[in-house]
Amino acid sequence: MQNTIAKFGSDRLRQWLPLATLVILVATVGIMEPIFLRPSTLLQLASDTAVLFILATGVTFVIMIGGIDLSIQSMASLASVIVALTIARLGYGAFLFAVTVGALTGLLSGLAHVRLKVPSFIATLAMGGVLFSTALVISRERSITLGIDDRSYQTWITGTVFGVPNVIVTGLIVLVIAHVLQAHTRFGRYSAAIGAGEPAAYASGVKVDRQKIFAYVLSATFAALAGVILAGRLASGSPTLAAELLLPSIAAVVVGGTAITGGVGSIWRTLVGALIISVVRIGMTFLGVNIFAQNIVFGAVLIVAVAVTIDRSKIPIVK
Amino acid sequence: MKPDPFKSALSLKNIEKRFPGVHALKAVSIEIRHGEVVGLVGENGAGKSTLMKILSGVYQPDSGSVEIAGKPVRFENAADANKKGIGMVFQEQSLLTNLTIGENIYLGNEAQFTRCGIVNWKALYAAASRQLVKVQLDVDPRMRASDLDFAGRQMVELAKALTLEEHASEHLVILLDEPTSVLERAEIDVLFARVRLLKSRASFIFVSHRLDEVLALSDRIYVMKDGAVVADLMAADANIPKLHHLMVGRSLQAEYYREPLQKPFKEEVVLELDNLSLGNAYKNVSFKLHSGEILGIAGVIGSGREELARTLAGFAPQNSGTIRIDSRNVRFLSPAEAVDAGIGYIPRERRVEGLVLFLSVAANITLADLENLTHCGLINAREESLIATNWVNRLKIRTPDIKTLCLNLSGGNQQKVVLAKWLNAKAKILVLDHPTRGLDVGAKEEVYELIRTVTSEGVAVILTSDTLEETIGLSHSLLMMRDGEITQIMSANPGHKPSQIDLIRHIV
Repeated sequence: MQNTIAKFGSDRLRQWLPLATLVILVATVGIMEPIFLRPSTLLQLASDTAVLFILATGVTFVIMIGGIDLSIQSMASLASVIVALTIARLGYGAFLFAVTVGALTGLLSGLAHVRLKVPSFIATLAMGGVLFSTALVISRERSITLGIDDRSYQTWITGTVFGVPNVIVTGLIVLVIAHVLQAHTRFGRYSAAIGAGEPAAYASGVKVDRQKIFAYVLSATFAALAGVILAGRLASGSPTLAAELLLPSIAAVVVGGTAITGGVGSIWRTLVGALIISVVRIGMTFLGVNIFAQNIVFGAVLIVAVAVTIDRSKIPIVK
Repeated sequence: MKPDPFKSALSLKNIEKRFPGVHALKAVSIEIRHGEVVGLVGENGAGKSTLMKILSGVYQPDSGSVEIAGKPVRFENAADANKKGIGMVFQEQSLLTNLTIGENIYLGNEAQFTRCGIVNWKALYAAASRQLVKVQLDVDPRMRASDLDFAGRQMVELAKALTLEEHASEHLVILLDEPTSVLERAEIDVLFARVRLLKSRASFIFVSHRLDEVLALSDRIYVMKDGAVVADLMAADANIPKLHHLMVGRSLQAEYYREPLQKPFKEEVVLELDNLSLGNAYKNVSFKLHSGEILGIAGVIGSGREELARTLAGFAPQNSGTIRIDSRNVRFLSPAEAVDAGIGYIPRERRVEGLVLFLSVAANITLADLENLTHCGLINAREESLIATNWVNRLKIRTPDIKTLCLNLSGGNQQKVVLAKWLNAKAKILVLDHPTRGLDVGAKEEVYELIRTVTSEGVAVILTSDTLEETIGLSHSLLMMRDGEITQIMSANPGHKPSQIDLIRHIV
């Protein structure tokens, strides 16, 4: 009982820590560089965060069930290549095609994990390799620029609505859909139950395999969507387009406060986490940190975030 | 060290321990003399575990003193307590099954066999053999622990605890914390015989839920209640009703199992098994279960009753024979199918299979029946909280609110949440697999009362239980199993319940 009370207090605190971190970061960067707080800069920040947020949202579903998806950056890159290669022929259909490939890929990863009982980090690591090589082969190891004629298809990504970039709108739509899925559907509830106590969920009649497979489908689908948006924003597709995004995505999920061990988390937390990562990235740019050094920071942040968020009283041993 | 029956091996004086909001130990004083087995009993929450943790160095007392052979000591941690002569054998066995017996015995203490970082295995195994002789376990110490049965492993734990006598300067005291919970009857007898034999080498503190075992093994018994020692009596002067009375402050009555509430079951057959068989586990099992009936299955480990319960819960489909529910033949490939057929499973591993500890009370209650809360794909949160609140009130689940994580509930209240989950899913058949395991007496009574209530409303129950007493007390009908087959079926009407001896003939 005594521990319960103490834990209650610290759980409350822990919950608000990511948001407090975000506010402090924004304020700090804002004080050092007042330009940062201008609406135009903030909109730019939000636009830049959208892709990261969408990737992180997908992987949140997998982390919630206690798994991991290491194939998301390769999936996103492959999706960008698919768009670049097919847009001339398929038009808008190219985007749909890429996202469908994503969904099927997720289905394969999910089946490999659930049916063949391969640990998720192995299944998705292998899948990531397959996807990356596929992207390399079909793009002939090159970056493919979208043709001038095809640029019109991109306006849903590059345009604005009442001055708000469409990327932000897309990000918000993803936020709403993902939040509803996670917080208000049976899938969301079952995911939390599986992540926190799979044997009990199974014994309660939850079709565990089906829920897990769906989580991998969502992860890969959102990754493909992120790749599509990236292709639109950069007007090109390349097998390495999203190559630096796996680490920041997982860092965003964990920094936001979703437990890497599963069961506890939300899409809101991932949004906060993604914003933290973005602000840190921009802050580093203002500070003149070499852009290629960023993953040093994100790697360190990821380790610290996991170390801080794992509740040792509940999970004493990790492997 | 030669035992001197009048000499104090370990004594605790006025031990106080407080946690925020809880006075866990109130001026607890106990003494263990040389060569004595001291039993420690009390309900859950009486302070036994806290006391054991102080003795094993996990907690430090707020005040009071711990003395070994009359000299005050302080245990900094478990290793320190070991060094000072306190050994431990816990219910959760601590052997690493992938290591050999010898490696286990000296795990963490290999230094004595090590030269320049190289372990002299020959010397280690020779020493391990000497330890095994002490507990009369005739096995090769190079064998892997996984090749031993539970009883053998428990002996190795004992041997490991006894290695301490080579370094401790005083008489050893070994804590036995629920050491019998994984053992079968015959194995328990062997363990007890060994403990009695070892009394010349060490004193023991024996903690168990099973009062008959405490009476059988102990010389003297301390009874704890609400953080204080309420009685210190010689085992010869004690009996189960007396201990029970001291533990809960009232006597065990015939009403314990709510026999007067046992109503005749109905005609309607809800489940029919016909020649059900599963591999080596059980064969040709046939019976009928009626609406409102509690069918208790008695049998030892290996009798097949556990597997039979798992089959009905959807974990282990039968090889042949039929299960008939609602005049439909079924074969469950997963618990989901059993749940759909109206079966609810209350597992022995409550905290693993019964509940998702990190989900709220409400989410656990609705987990097996979310379909009915889902409209247009969305869970109706208002409806969910109404339903959960309703069950919390009806089953008197003690929880701060329905959003509290099940982790923070007591065992009895957790079990009520599991029951609420199945009642909410409108289960017509409940498979109760050791439903009162690990619960204290008060919580058990509440569970019995609930079982009576739901069966009087027409729910049928299949019960496998820890004790024959509970099986007989609760059931309408009794089914005895041995080596996978039914050996006898009896009825157990109130006032005409068979005795344990009547059953034992058919199960061993």
